[in-house]
Amino acid sequence: MDKSIRYALIFTLLLFGKSALAQSRTISGTVKDSFYRPLFGVNILVEGTNQGTITDLSGFYQIQLTSGEALIFSYVGFNSQRIVIGSNSTIDVTLQPGNNLEEVIVVGYGTSTREELTDNIASLRAEQIKEIPVPSVQGALVGKAAGVQVTQTGGRAESGFKIRVRGVATINGDQEPLYVIDGIPIDKVDRSANSSPINSLVGLNPEDIASIEILKDASAAAIYGSRGTNGVVLITTKSGSSGETRFSFRSSYGLSEASNKLEWLNTNEYVELYTEAALNSGFTEDDAAFFFNLFSENEEDWRNGEVDTDWQDLALVSGSIHDISFSASGGDEKTTFFLSTGYNRTEGIIRGNSLERYSLRANIDHRANEWLTIGLNSNASKTQISRIANDNEFANPIGAIAQIPFSKPYLEDGITPNTETTLYYNFLMDQFNGDHKSNVWRAFMKLYGEVAFTKNFNFRSELGYDYNNQLEERFYGSLTEYASTNGFADALSFINEKYVINNYFNYQHFGNDWQLEATLGMSYEENKFKSLSIEGQDFPSDQLRKLDSAGEITGGFTSETAFSFVSYFARASATLFNNWLLKASVRVDGSSRFGSEVKYGTFPAASIGWLASEAPFLKDNKTLSNLKLRASWGLTGNANIGNFASRTQFVTRNYNQNPGFWLAALGDPNLSWEETKQVNFGLDLGFINNRVNTSMDYYIKDTEGALFLVPIPYTNGIRFVNQNAADIVNTGFEFTLDTKNIITEDFSWSTSLNIAINNNEVKALPDGADIVREEKIVREGEPVASFYIPEYAGVDPDNGDALFYRNTELPDGSLDRTTTADFAEASRRILGNPFPNVIAGMTNNLQYKGIDFSFVFQGQWGAQFYNAGGIYQSSNADFFDNQTRDQLNRWQQQGDITNVPQARLFGGNGTQQSSRYLEDADFIRLRNLTLGYTLPKDVSENLGLDRIRVYFTGVNLLIFTDFKGWDPESTWDFRQRNSLFSGTGFYSPPQARTYTLGFNVDF
Amino acid sequence: MKNLYLILFVSILIIGCDNNLDIEPTDSLTPETLLEDPDNLDRLLLGAYSFADDQYAGEFQTVSELLANESNLAYRGTFAQFFEFERKEVITTNVFIRLLWANAYRSINLCNIVLENLELAQDPDQRAQLEGEAKFMRGLLYFEMVRYFALPYEAAGNNTQPGLPIIFDAVTDLSQISYPARASLEEVYTQLISDLQVANALLPPDNGFRADAYAAQAMLARVYLQQGNYAAARDAAHEVLENSGHFLVPDLASAFNNENDGIEDIFAWQVTTQDGVNDFNTYWATIEFGGRSQTADVTVEAPFFDLFTEPDDRSGFFYLGNGTTVSSKWQGQFANAPYIRVAEMHLIRAESNFREGTNLGLAPETEINALRARSNANPIIGLTLQDILEERQRELAFEGHRFHDAKRLLETIDGLPYDAPNLVMPIPQDDIDTNPNLEQNPGYNN
Repeated sequence: MDKSIRYALIFTLLLFGKSALAQSRTISGTVKDSFYRPLFGVNILVEGTNQGTITDLSGFYQIQLTSGEALIFSYVGFNSQRIVIGSNSTIDVTLQPGNNLEEVIVVGYGTSTREELTDNIASLRAEQIKEIPVPSVQGALVGKAAGVQVTQTGGRAESGFKIRVRGVATINGDQEPLYVIDGIPIDKVDRSANSSPINSLVGLNPEDIASIEILKDASAAAIYGSRGTNGVVLITTKSGSSGETRFSFRSSYGLSEASNKLEWLNTNEYVELYTEAALNSGFTEDDAAFFFNLFSENEEDWRNGEVDTDWQDLALVSGSIHDISFSASGGDEKTTFFLSTGYNRTEGIIRGNSLERYSLRANIDHRANEWLTIGLNSNASKTQISRIANDNEFANPIGAIAQIPFSKPYLEDGITPNTETTLYYNFLMDQFNGDHKSNVWRAFMKLYGEVAFTKNFNFRSELGYDYNNQLEERFYGSLTEYASTNGFADALSFINEKYVINNYFNYQHFGNDWQLEATLGMSYEENKFKSLSIEGQDFPSDQLRKLDSAGEITGGFTSETAFSFVSYFARASATLFNNWLLKASVRVDGSSRFGSEVKYGTFPAASIGWLASEAPFLKDNKTLSNLKLRASWGLTGNANIGNFASRTQFVTRNYNQNPGFWLAALGDPNLSWEETKQVNFGLDLGFINNRVNTSMDYYIKDTEGALFLVPIPYTNGIRFVNQNAADIVNTGFEFTLDTKNIITEDFSWSTSLNIAINNNEVKALPDGADIVREEKIVREGEPVASFYIPEYAGVDPDNGDALFYRNTELPDGSLDRTTTADFAEASRRILGNPFPNVIAGMTNNLQYKGIDFSFVFQGQWGAQFYNAGGIYQSSNADFFDNQTRDQLNRWQQQGDITNVPQARLFGGNGTQQSSRYLEDADFIRLRNLTLGYTLPKDVSENLGLDRIRVYFTGVNLLIFTDFKGWDPESTWDFRQRNSLFSGTGFYSPPQARTYTLGFNVDF
Repeated sequence: MKNLYLILFVSILIIGCDNNLDIEPTDSLTPETLLEDPDNLDRLLLGAYSFADDQYAGEFQTVSELLANESNLAYRGTFAQFFEFERKEVITTNVFIRLLWANAYRSINLCNIVLENLELAQDPDQRAQLEGEAKFMRGLLYFEMVRYFALPYEAAGNNTQPGLPIIFDAVTDLSQISYPARASLEEVYTQLISDLQVANALLPPDNGFRADAYAAQAMLARVYLQQGNYAAARDAAHEVLENSGHFLVPDLASAFNNENDGIEDIFAWQVTTQDGVNDFNTYWATIEFGGRSQTADVTVEAPFFDLFTEPDDRSGFFYLGNGTTVSSKWQGQFANAPYIRVAEMHLIRAESNFREGTNLGLAPETEINALRARSNANPIIGLTLQDILEERQRELAFEGHRFHDAKRLLETIDGLPYDAPNLVMPIPQDDIDTNPNLEQNPGYNN
């Protein structure tokens, strides 16, 4: 790049004489920021004159010159740039931010800057999310934004993410934020065939992303109205800028493994514990031997410990990640482009799990003439996934830890999995004699046209299309669980299509010490989903795995569902006296989902900010370089309530291959969105020329009519009624601190810290009545989905009985803290909650000459985790499932003080669901660490390249926690959509730990 | 000027968008549409059959056998909640108990919708059949439930102990939700007998795979036997045996594992490769035949064979699992699940005749020996009541009768008296939590 500037200078010098003679001429060009986004309102002044202009919304400017030799480009907060006028009539400029206040922030139907912002929006740049070797973009957000909890469901390569913005504001409604890519809301519903979610963004190559904004407070999110409550994630993809075509090649390769493994009994320990358990339950040693023989090929296998299988090692294997992407960007004064292609191959850490993604992107912007700009963003991808059973199935590889160590994994031939003497079905057989593959084809398309009526009044029309097609095929051969039917296969295919039309006007006006910006528009969205499924059995050969070979087709269906939104929105923001910032917006949403009585909702918001540091009394203060006070209020909704949830529905259910009907849902014609009022107060401070920046936000997020499957007695013939029934309040405090600790020419060190505190409380329920489901309760005054279980009281030292606190309420209101060995006598109590009170993240970036080093810590405090599999895994040898090694500390004789009851085979001694399996889930994790080296410029230029960088990245390298399970963040996949079941795990695999080496080349 | 056109054009874009907020579901009907067609009443009944199929095509017979088990059976499966039955320590959140309750009321509501809308059916025959089947199903479900959720019926008592909530009103609308209390056991029996009697009167003698008049009659025989009303049980069973056209198949094996109802099946739950699951097979067969495990989840242990002192086909109707003994009754993965077999009617008539000192149809000894002959067992000379009760165990083994028989015969189970609180199932915690009018059974605190 330097070269071209040098040439430009030489040309300028050569042409100097000529230009003095020149007549009036026109210079035009585009001004963009370093993320290739057009900058609007950039001041352009011909040096030494008072002649000037400003850029329009697309960053375009045009200026007539009669004299002058240079242009000065200035824009609040960006470093001004002086460009000498050469022979070119096109001058495109990229402005570099002077400090982070001028960072451009995407806000939904427009942009803003950090300085003008009165809302709470977390903003991440490509630099902050690149090079993190996870197949999905959400993985890069972990620990980066205050109040945004990002959790991977488990260790599967394709597994979904949960993103919770400022706590949970619903019970049964969807809790995920709205995802908007380049202005188009996308389909984010997981439709995996086996309830283990496939990440809805799996088709998006993280390398294509220029920035991610997370709209957190209501004032920011209210522009998305009935879908703003859970926050809005705005993803902006890269675009090109005119000039030399730039190429970039990135490649990385890494190895991965389970971030944690647990200790299980080996053969000798197992035989010892289970012999004891059998004797304690009135069996003899011969009985025990009989049992053991059922699960071993030869008696010596267990008696002499000749077979000692580590089933966990068979399930959790080493994986790898290979990622390659290539992009080209550039253009001329009329047309700019960004083209990219990417390939990712992830071999999962769980045997049988892998993912392969191919992606293509073309983003093109074209200035047709002085008043019309058109463009296209397009992305097509294909993802192939080798899948494994969900957490709840016996074929789940993690379930293998229940197998007995003296059962052999394979038969004599060493290849065929042993299903003859294993306690449970051997998952290896599903992979040996079956298939489970999923293909996801995804395309995001956006076509837009922008018409400039005048310099500061324009109209933009966007047509978006999101195509999501999935085909999931499973085959189980004649040796699997489907032996009795000579195999079984099914295939599920669906297509989800979403059309979005956005039309909006933007108007800007600049006065002397004030400016006004206004947006007015509408949006229409229609989503159609169609699915098709077929299943069959009786296959003539294990080689013939498609359903055309099935002897009998035993099932199939097609189905269809749809929803639509019609929305109108308006927003106005003003800056007065350069230091007062005002904003107001309103959105009206209508949706086919809402009940017949409530088709439309209105969602207003307003905010105000005061830039005190611009006020006369602070303007020249050297220490306090920025002081801004913010306040906002807004109303948002959560419309993820199901497409037809407001209706009473009878659906078919067959009996003996005749169609029958049943009552599947009892509708409420008043059913509508959940409504959240959110107030936010914020303070931004910058010290020492903004070397130290800090923000503090306090919010109250008050949700009324939280969507809730209100349980009614089964005697009504139906279990739940979908109603807007609960009120939930989240209050919280967010703190961020960004410091540039050291800045010298050779060495720099910056730190970014975020801490968020959130308190979740159920404020009101219908009739104030508790809602209990399984181990969870929703009760007024308590966090949503608190753990509600009998309290384990340890072990009776006299007889080894498991004890529970009675916890019945005494007449004086206190609890009966005496203990009982009879589980039925123990009352349930609230003993924890699944949502952390505190989440935090810290990022450090260090740079020494060409070497860069960064690391991210993430942590959470105050949440509990319930291991629903504990009753099998740590049950003092209640059943034959292999046990965690801590069960060896069982009570053995009178006087033993321990927490593990006496081992009793089939004895049910403390193996009920109780607080015995509840744990604190506090942790601090070293989420990410990167060490990179950028080759000196002369070296890369000698190679004909602009930039060469090599790096090492590690993910999930360390965790500091007292948690005893695999991973305090891995929860059961098959229930993760329902917040009621948050914080519960069931054979849920840990996340991957990954070590990656990579290099980037730009030329 | 150009700008003016543009503004006009974009204004059209803004307002011209199709305002389509009315999207109809493609796979469900509203109550209004559903109840336009009388044939849909029949389909609601099929829905009711289908939910009953979930519980009674083997699952609750298995639960019953485990609750009654002392040492004849071993549970080797992996469902921790099945162990609760085996240990007689069922907790209030047991999922099988919850489904027993929930699906029964789900079906009952579908039956009540049918009964409330009978006038839709113009054809009197259709109307009679709809009413008959709805009441058959409702009666059957109350009977199945009440035997688990209430203290045993005392032949001599007035049975005021809590029974079940009896629901007559259909729920198809939010305003119809109710929070009922439990009626007394006597009231429940009165209601279910009345339902089954109406069903018996209205249903045709043959109704394909669905309940016919004799299925209702046979249910009544079962109910009366449970009440200790032997004369009525005898008469009902006699009626079935004389007129239903069902009889014993000549060999034991043919009575089981039939994909279509056999001649011995008075009523069976339908299972096909596409719908219904034969849970007898799920829990009692080895994986090779479609069961859950190598050994079969429920295996038959040595003490069971003490019932057989002489050669008998029924003592050999077994196969080997992985070193275990497994009943051959449930080898068919897609076979229908027998619910009332002719053999049971013979046993009821013989026992009732014996107790009443009558010989309606056949003398008890003749009847029992005829049944034994089918399994090539020697005749019993000088038949006693004990012989009849043991014959019941031999013939109806693993079919879910043992637990209920123990209760009516006031026998102890695993050292627990017949009316022990542990042998009465808890009302599911979910409904205790949602319905303040519902009383929990004794012995269940949390």
